[in-house]
Amino acid sequence: MKIIKSRGPEIFDIELEKDLLAKNRNLAKENRKRFDRTNILAIDIMGSIGSGKTSLIKAILKRLGMGKEVAVIAGDLTTTIDAERIEAEGARVIQVNTGKECHLDAHLVRRALKEIKLDGVKLLFIENVGNLICPGEFPLGAHKRLVVTSVTEGPYTLIKHPYIFREADVIVLNKIDLAKAMKVNPSQMERDARKINPHVPFIKTNAVKGIGIPKVIGALGLKL
Amino acid sequence: MHEFSIASEIVRTVLDATEKNGGKKVLSIQLEIGELALLNVEQVTFWIHELFKGSVAEGAKVKVKTIKARIKCESCGYKGGISLDRQDPFRHVIPYSCPQCGSFQVKIKKGQECILQKIQAIKE
Repeated sequence: MKIIKSRGPEIFDIELEKDLLAKNRNLAKENRKRFDRTNILAIDIMGSIGSGKTSLIKAILKRLGMGKEVAVIAGDLTTTIDAERIEAEGARVIQVNTGKECHLDAHLVRRALKEIKLDGVKLLFIENVGNLICPGEFPLGAHKRLVVTSVTEGPYTLIKHPYIFREADVIVLNKIDLAKAMKVNPSQMERDARKINPHVPFIKTNAVKGIGIPKVIGALGLKL
Repeated sequence: MHEFSIASEIVRTVLDATEKNGGKKVLSIQLEIGELALLNVEQVTFWIHELFKGSVAEGAKVKVKTIKARIKCESCGYKGGISLDRQDPFRHVIPYSCPQCGSFQVKIKKGQECILQKIQAIKE
């Protein structure tokens, strides 16, 4: 007679060694390859809420006058306000609503790239969600990362958030016209920037009036 | 700041891998989180436990090992650890400087990971 004996539960290990943050980094690399294949220069614009990310993109677009050769991925939680503001400058815009998420990630950018017509596009701006913490840890595959801060955020933003400013290829200090009223010393902020990221271009702007914008364009390696 | 999304990703990976390998119940999972990763370990484990509820991983132990930071200084060539004040809640956002020469031009070699190392499960 054949006897089937019941066995006790078998405990086993599943080895994964999977770095979950690496997944985003790998997707970012894929995005970068996508940009390089089609000769698109991609720029990630980061900065806190109300620092002037959209205004800066608008001002750059106005100055460049490249129309539909520029595409913008506008990241936000729920609204399309920024996308509409940018669309007025003639660029192709796609809105990515993250819902509750505080940053864009490489996967969301990849999805946006599928939705936007990129033929003829030479330049892509990716406007990140307003935040000085999380986006620093989530590269999107952009060639350059620009961080905007403004004098209305007070004089300590750079020192308080060195992580994101260290990741930056260009730092913009916006709303420079309000520095005096805010009792902020832009030179001190520039010194803070140099301490964290010694060779980074530090540019003072008034994005609404277009002041400092040619310098930003130059620092990003774009041509007027 | 993105603890919830990382926790969701971990839970999804655990449940997928368990199902693929014929596991019927998850006993524990082992994570390794770098001390410089912008993740609060307490929040991550809280969300993992919450998201495990109602699944084959409900009640599973979540073990977390910390990966020590290692840097390389671009200025003086120092390679090694950095001292972090563990009591300081802002330690993750304090600029990392070289303990030897004080330069901020340092490359982080280790300490930013969030690794799902292994899952221990029961096969019936």
